[in-house]
Amino acid sequence: MSEPIISVKDLTIRFRTDEGLVTAVDGISFDIAPGEVLGLVGESGSGKSVTAKSLMLLNPRNARYDEQSNILLKANGKDVNVLGLKRDKDMRIVRGGAISMIFQEPMASFAPAITIGDQMVEQLLIHTSMTKAAARELSIEMLTRVGIPDAARRFNQYAFEFSGGMRQRAMIAMALSTNPKLLIADEPTTALDVTIQAQVLDLMKDLVSEFGMAILFITHDLGVIAQTADRVAVMYLGRLVETGTVRQVIRDPRHPYTQGLLNALPKIDNLDAPLTPVPGDIPSPLERPTGCVFHTRCPVALEGKCSNEIPAMEPTEQAGHSVACFVARKEAA
Amino acid sequence: MNAAPIISARGLSVHFPLRGSWFAPKQVVRAVENVTVDIPKRSFFGLVGESGSGKTTLGRALLKAVPISAGTVRYDDGEKAYELEAIGSAELKDYRKRSQLIFQDPYAALSPRMTVRDIIAEPLEVMGLTRTREETDQRVRAIAAKCRLNLEHLRRFPHAFSGGQRQRISIARALVSDPRFVVADESVAALDVSIQADVLNLLKALQEELGLTYLFISHDLSVVSHICDHVAVMYLGRLVESAPTRSLFAAPKHPYTKALLSAIPSLDPDNRGTAQKLEGEIPSPTNPPPGCKFHTRCPYVQDVCRREEPALENIGGGQEIACHRWKELLDATAT
Amino acid sequence: MAWFRRKTATGVDQLAKEAYFTASQGQLIWARFKSNRSAMIALWALVIMVLMGFFADFLSPYNPTVAGRDTTYENGAPQLPKFWDENGFSARPFIYGTKRERSIKTNFRWVMTVDRNQRRYVYLFVKGWKYDVINMSWGIPGTDYGFEYRALTLDRHLFGVNQGQIHLFGTEASGKDIFSRTLHAVWTSLAVGTLGVLISFVLALIIGGVAGYFGGWIDSILQMITDAIRTVPPIPLFMAFAAFMPDTWSSETRFFFISIILGLIGWPTLARRIRTHLLTERSQEYVLAAELCGASSAHIIRRHLLPSFTSYIIVDLMISFPYMVRSETALSFIGLGLKDPVNSLGALMQNVSKADVLLNYQWYFIPVIFFIALVLAFVFVGDGLRDAADPYSGHNK
Repeated sequence: MSEPIISVKDLTIRFRTDEGLVTAVDGISFDIAPGEVLGLVGESGSGKSVTAKSLMLLNPRNARYDEQSNILLKANGKDVNVLGLKRDKDMRIVRGGAISMIFQEPMASFAPAITIGDQMVEQLLIHTSMTKAAARELSIEMLTRVGIPDAARRFNQYAFEFSGGMRQRAMIAMALSTNPKLLIADEPTTALDVTIQAQVLDLMKDLVSEFGMAILFITHDLGVIAQTADRVAVMYLGRLVETGTVRQVIRDPRHPYTQGLLNALPKIDNLDAPLTPVPGDIPSPLERPTGCVFHTRCPVALEGKCSNEIPAMEPTEQAGHSVACFVARKEAA
Repeated sequence: MNAAPIISARGLSVHFPLRGSWFAPKQVVRAVENVTVDIPKRSFFGLVGESGSGKTTLGRALLKAVPISAGTVRYDDGEKAYELEAIGSAELKDYRKRSQLIFQDPYAALSPRMTVRDIIAEPLEVMGLTRTREETDQRVRAIAAKCRLNLEHLRRFPHAFSGGQRQRISIARALVSDPRFVVADESVAALDVSIQADVLNLLKALQEELGLTYLFISHDLSVVSHICDHVAVMYLGRLVESAPTRSLFAAPKHPYTKALLSAIPSLDPDNRGTAQKLEGEIPSPTNPPPGCKFHTRCPYVQDVCRREEPALENIGGGQEIACHRWKELLDATAT
Repeated sequence: MAWFRRKTATGVDQLAKEAYFTASQGQLIWARFKSNRSAMIALWALVIMVLMGFFADFLSPYNPTVAGRDTTYENGAPQLPKFWDENGFSARPFIYGTKRERSIKTNFRWVMTVDRNQRRYVYLFVKGWKYDVINMSWGIPGTDYGFEYRALTLDRHLFGVNQGQIHLFGTEASGKDIFSRTLHAVWTSLAVGTLGVLISFVLALIIGGVAGYFGGWIDSILQMITDAIRTVPPIPLFMAFAAFMPDTWSSETRFFFISIILGLIGWPTLARRIRTHLLTERSQEYVLAAELCGASSAHIIRRHLLPSFTSYIIVDLMISFPYMVRSETALSFIGLGLKDPVNSLGALMQNVSKADVLLNYQWYFIPVIFFIALVLAFVFVGDGLRDAADPYSGHNK
């Protein structure tokens, strides 16, 4: 296994709010290998967006990173401790350079009063030493590559002149023009129609194989993960509960939350199956349960143990498949 | 059971004028165009489509929340019957008691300054359905209990609740006036998957208990497949296919329906890239293409499709389809 | 309001949680406001100043008009009571006696000498000049018709001295006590401000409300009117009015008139804000839900729109106050508003701009400090309210 591009260890993020110190992410660790698509799955309150933003230090000022949190980025042969970056100059190497990000709402990511072309060129000028003309050429080429017809004309248009799907493609083009090692995609297709989503996902898969970059794909949609990811990490209320290859996690889920999530999904190939929700509600981040964060809704929680002790992430008998659950371990044993 | 459908729409159109400049010709958004559909009583009728399909507008038109530009809509629940396109204001008031809407966004649909009890009681008070405060309280408590909201919850304000709970409050509010026809507009779209199933099950249980008819509007075909007994598919304001759920999902006939179904990401990691992907984007509703509206993206397009708009034909078994070539495509795949 | 204190995430107790869940918007806003320290300090300052103005008659030892002037202590420096000096300690605070003399030695200018051996003791609740607690006099300008009603005459004041007079903030050229004048001026400025805000608020509510609620062409027309009024330049307007106002008008009538004018030109900004709030609230989904029940416009306004923008309106009112006070002060300062001998902060500040004053009688500036404090207090309270009233949408996922 080659060295991971980015290595997150014991990441813990808390926010100072009016209601006190709220824990958004609690001690998660994961690696992303070069060229790998890691799907980060979670519902609201799981902390997946906060995690993604912390890779580029994009969290708001009131975020507090724990002492032992560590994010190590291997870029251009060097190791960069992302959490230790203080100066804007250093962060610029990471943001948009080695790591690029695309968001859910493309209208919000493009400046409305500047043409798409100008924004793409600006990104290139910041991160590379290209001339303006070379940047322009590369940008138009990228726009064509992502499937936008008549790219030279579109280059001079504004964001509102693009449709939703095209804006998302343009954002992907912009993100990829600096040839990043890692692309963070935060719910990139959630706001798109399902037919457009299919197009964009196809595009992303093609680009992965062409550019050889890794993707951290954040979503709540397990179907999208099944189609695009190589590995999956499931988050609940700030903790990682299960990781593994996509086949392992979807075909053989070990954690009760993952199982519950898969059971709750309506499946088109089995219309007779009842819809079984995960009982209860996601606790508010102000009231994190003690012990295992999922025990308040877990159908197989062990009395006494699951409410008091936090299960650590441990490998199962399948290589690469790990679960953080006392019950799962017991069953496997 | 009265055989007449609760809602009968014939050639229903909803057009919105766009404010043009004084020089350019006035443009019209044809949000819903020439829709003919029957919603049977006590059915869970699904309406699917992507953005720009007009499904939300159709739902609102059936509730008379937006004006009807052309066509007729007949409402008949066995007790009262109304022609919605020409309904008078007194009859409209009565219709409002019998038809309600559940919104999509659980955060915007509840007034932040009213307690849950007041929110649920509001329809009763506005429509004058109860006389005393005790009566109102009683009805509020009854419907709240059905939606799994207890007395404590009634005293709280919306900010105390999660998305799923708020949606249950929305449902309680819609059902407190004892309507016969409920339009659920993307009611589970904003909810987490683990909670979606909960709300869907609640809707189903309430339907059986209270004898409701739902028009369930959604863009999510998997959800619709599990909960609806009949599905209608819309594209650019027109109805393109309508069939009982099993038939539609087992054997979709319209190319758009086929594309929609194949676009749903499958949960099977080994089943990748086999589906046929739809190219292009939905045309603008102010400037729809001639002939069949779907022809610009249809993989089976032919000349007739570019010239003539196909009519919705009934092909038996409760199925309807608007496509020139559906029969030959069906025969082609069968052989 | 336990939930707004800093605490660890897991230390929330059930009672506090329940209180949070059942708190109405008003209570939530108040709780958030209380946790904002600068806003609370400003609120206290504001309350104190308002009370000082309200009890101005009681608190001022001397009549702020010409009737109460101290001819023996003109342009006198502030006299702060002391407890101790070289002659010994005294439980009762005292000030020094003064003598004024003029002779050829001093070039025939009045010169004040302080006699440190003569002590004038300060007493509380002394008898002093008479004032009416209820004092209403309305007159229609330009006519002889009027209405006057005075009642409840008292003569007790908070403090005073056994001999001569005590001037905490000094006196000005004609011997009037600046402390008394300042207190009354605060009240006058507040009164003019309140009246102005009320008038502009009523106008803004009607015009902005109709525009926001109905939208469409009504809105367009009203917006044009609003913008037209907004472009009227206030200074030339007031110059014209200053020229027009006859001198025969009593100061109360002038005061009333100034307030009305301020209100009449101040409403556009508030109207625009109200209109915006209404337009946003009207398109909220819960309003649509009510409409779908067949709710009448009156019901929607009463139950949904009004409560939703009450908090905004209170904020807007609070923020309008400093503008009104400042406008009146500015206008009076340049002589277009209330003039000496009326007690208003602006009128008091008129005297400040002379070089003589700047060099020799710096205590004339004290009312300026009050003016700044008053305006800042309003601004901070308004800001704090606006931050606190930011609707709960901040808690959305």
